[in-house]
Amino acid sequence: MADKPVYGEASIDGQPSKLASIPASDTTVWADASPLLQTACAGLRDGELIHGDNFNLFAAMSALEIMDPKMDSGIVCTYYSIDEAIENGAAPVPISLDSTIDVCRTIDIMDHLLACEAAWHKGHSLAQTVFSCIYLLRLDRTAPHALLHSYCRIIRATCKAVVSVVSDARTHEEEDLFTMTYGLPLNGDGDDKCLSILNAVEETISRQLRACKATSSKRRLPEDLEPLQSNPNLEEGFCKALLCRLRFRKHFFHVLSCMKRPQGRGLESARKHIASCLTELESILKSADFLRSCFDESCEGDIDDKTTASGFEPIGFDAMLNSRLSAPTPPRAIKILSWKKAVEYFVKLLNDLDVICSYSLDPQLESLLRFVVLFQKSQPDLVARSHLQILNHVNIVEQLLLVQDGKLYGRDPFFAVINKAAALPEATKNHDIQKNESFLQLGMVIANFLNSNGVGNSSLPNKLVMNLLKILCTNSAWQRRKLGKFLQDWRVIYVQLELAFRNEYGEVSSSSNDENTCMKIFQHILLWVEEQTYWIAFRFLILGFELELYSTGEYCMVYWYLYAVLIKLAEKTHLMMAVSHDTAKRKGKKKKDSPKDLARESRIPPAVLFLQCYICLAEGLTMMLAALRNEIPVFHSPSPFNTEHEKFVQHFELLQRACIPDYVSYSSYKESTTHARFSTLAMYNYFKDAQRIAKEVKSSFSNDPERLAELRKLEQVAEHNSVAQNVICRLGALDPSLKVLFEFSHHPFFATVVVKRS
Amino acid sequence: MEAKPEEKAEFEEAEIEYVSYGGEHHLPLIMNLVDQELSEPYSIFTYRYFVYLWPQLSFLAFHKGKCVGTVVCKMGEHRNTFRGYIAMLVVIKPYRGRGIATELVTRSIRMMMESGCEEVRLSHTFVLVTLEAEVTNKGALALYGRLGFIRAKRLFHYYLNGVDAFRLKLLFPPPRQVL
Repeated sequence: MADKPVYGEASIDGQPSKLASIPASDTTVWADASPLLQTACAGLRDGELIHGDNFNLFAAMSALEIMDPKMDSGIVCTYYSIDEAIENGAAPVPISLDSTIDVCRTIDIMDHLLACEAAWHKGHSLAQTVFSCIYLLRLDRTAPHALLHSYCRIIRATCKAVVSVVSDARTHEEEDLFTMTYGLPLNGDGDDKCLSILNAVEETISRQLRACKATSSKRRLPEDLEPLQSNPNLEEGFCKALLCRLRFRKHFFHVLSCMKRPQGRGLESARKHIASCLTELESILKSADFLRSCFDESCEGDIDDKTTASGFEPIGFDAMLNSRLSAPTPPRAIKILSWKKAVEYFVKLLNDLDVICSYSLDPQLESLLRFVVLFQKSQPDLVARSHLQILNHVNIVEQLLLVQDGKLYGRDPFFAVINKAAALPEATKNHDIQKNESFLQLGMVIANFLNSNGVGNSSLPNKLVMNLLKILCTNSAWQRRKLGKFLQDWRVIYVQLELAFRNEYGEVSSSSNDENTCMKIFQHILLWVEEQTYWIAFRFLILGFELELYSTGEYCMVYWYLYAVLIKLAEKTHLMMAVSHDTAKRKGKKKKDSPKDLARESRIPPAVLFLQCYICLAEGLTMMLAALRNEIPVFHSPSPFNTEHEKFVQHFELLQRACIPDYVSYSSYKESTTHARFSTLAMYNYFKDAQRIAKEVKSSFSNDPERLAELRKLEQVAEHNSVAQNVICRLGALDPSLKVLFEFSHHPFFATVVVKRS
Repeated sequence: MEAKPEEKAEFEEAEIEYVSYGGEHHLPLIMNLVDQELSEPYSIFTYRYFVYLWPQLSFLAFHKGKCVGTVVCKMGEHRNTFRGYIAMLVVIKPYRGRGIATELVTRSIRMMMESGCEEVRLSHTFVLVTLEAEVTNKGALALYGRLGFIRAKRLFHYYLNGVDAFRLKLLFPPPRQVL
């Protein structure tokens, strides 16, 4: 882009980039460039520079103006160095010579560290949050202060454990600030002993608490025990406030360690520690009243904004000390959470972790995918998502993909997945058939196909499933972008598999039983790939609502596309269920086919009806939006530079490129929506269908609270929209002042239509 | 984006004068406005990068000699598409809500369209205009929405202040449809 010298008189013409590429040799003649540079410097004014042809936007943006507070991270605020801060008494040990004040200020430091930790988890750098604590930066200094020392040690060990989980999970593509620990003393000797140090301190304070209770009840005081601080009236309150804080740290550290154990062996213990953490957090919250009342002086400002329970500013923190450690970028605004918000944050994090620990390790791909999507609904942060990713990877995917019983399948992860997810005929698990020639041929076809993709035996589809799970664990913004691109991969796999199978088996229609079985397996595999593809497309589209990527004017095309994808998804799901039913039936063939069973077979499965409810809502909204656009000018506001066509192309580019679904285009969208009018809308109410289906299918999901709740929401939307449609049909054409709004008050992606008269 | 009523300036739309970037004397005006109103810091080299290479795409809005708004853009080839990019758009608070920003952007986009269409005829690529806006900046999002931009992506914690961004994109129709 930089196709000419940029900054007028200050630029040097010529070809510096080409010159730079000539290597120096024995014959190179060196000349002193100083006079040239001096001349150039004399000619330069403020804000000018000498640059080559390759000076681009990135280079320009990388320039920082020194001493500009908005840009210069290295600008000195209070202290030049940690040592200078310490010399100036910014982080005294002990914090106060008065033991009561010392305890109180120690609690402030603990509280502020909790707030810093939450701010770090929420996306700020470790250097400017937790490691803004001078005590933590020079941990050895705190050794004489057992309480502070034990707390700082476990904080450091916890940070390290969290960084390691997030780094291992690799779900932090856009959140890489999180794991930046450059220049921080994160690796300290002896942190493996942090729990025993903490336990010892906890034990002492427990005894101090018992002792002070004994004193108050006039029992005998153990002679060897010093009280925690000098004011007997405050002893119990301080002991309690400290114990819950220390115990929270201990249990939180245990949670992290337990969740790391292989094969999910620590999940049950992790849940116990999570419960303990939550109890301690409650006690921490309760301690605030005591901490605020134990001194006469009160702090200024709203207590809810403070980063400590007492409301006092903590001693020993300076967020600017480390700002130079961040990459050469302008300083980021740091907003440390208030203490109250930090406690709330940890409650949410622990609940999210509890959800992960409660997963039953069911090695069924479908249930795993549903679990991950459900988990994402509560918008868990990076730390929780990383734990899920690790668990998925270590405990579930390995089981799902690698631990198999059949010999042939056992070696091929792709088959393993299909075997479970695609409900392959029972016969395929039979060892006899695996030895059969045509079956081995099937294995060869797949192996050839995989090898022809140049990725070695079986790793490509394996990767597809692994990648899908990995993507589903990332934040919604990144997830949507990745899913969109990922669709192409699934489509390519489908096309290539289809081609490979057709080449091999295309002409064996009058085949033996074994070949028939092979054909069935192909069809299952293809069907399974298709179902996954439409499921991903569906998720891609609905994430757009969560991320607020669609404007009201675009809802019509979005719901139309959603409808088109859902139709295909329902079709494939139905086929898959029919196949598995067929398989299951064959398995129990010897049992008599009762007329009841036959009746059940002809019914549409609840999972498909569930999707049909979605379909009706999507179709209803499409038609209502189309009618509004066609009849009310306000809903059809053309833009000066492009048309609806260009918006369609942009929104669905990735889907269109992967032919998802086939034969869906802008013209088919136009065709189905151009003729929508209030009069045509009045003829059929899709929302009534949706409402009916939702009502009917609820009983089939009585054991599935999540889907039951979803159906209730769908029913509400359908009911509201059905009424709104009637009103619009009756008044729409007559009343130009009619205002129609689309709100997501009942459901995250199916809008509730609100009609108002302006 | 909306200013409080007491901060509103009184003026007729016809009093606003729009000029294309005319040289170094305009640079401090642009820099002051952007520095005041946008959260991201830019060095003088960033400004110069844009205005020296694409002076025809940068515009300033004046009211009685006072610079009240500016737009800074670039364009070029990017992944086989011809792309315009709106780097900075600012109108000072008292002058907002009166169409000045829309006018500034429209002028830049028209210039891009003219150059872009020529490129498309030569190379059969697409013409696209992109930009990023804070997800919280309702005024800007509405403005670009009216001009036909779609929200193509959400970029997590894009800005230094920790706010997410939307990447907005405007695709032009094929040249023969352009009026």
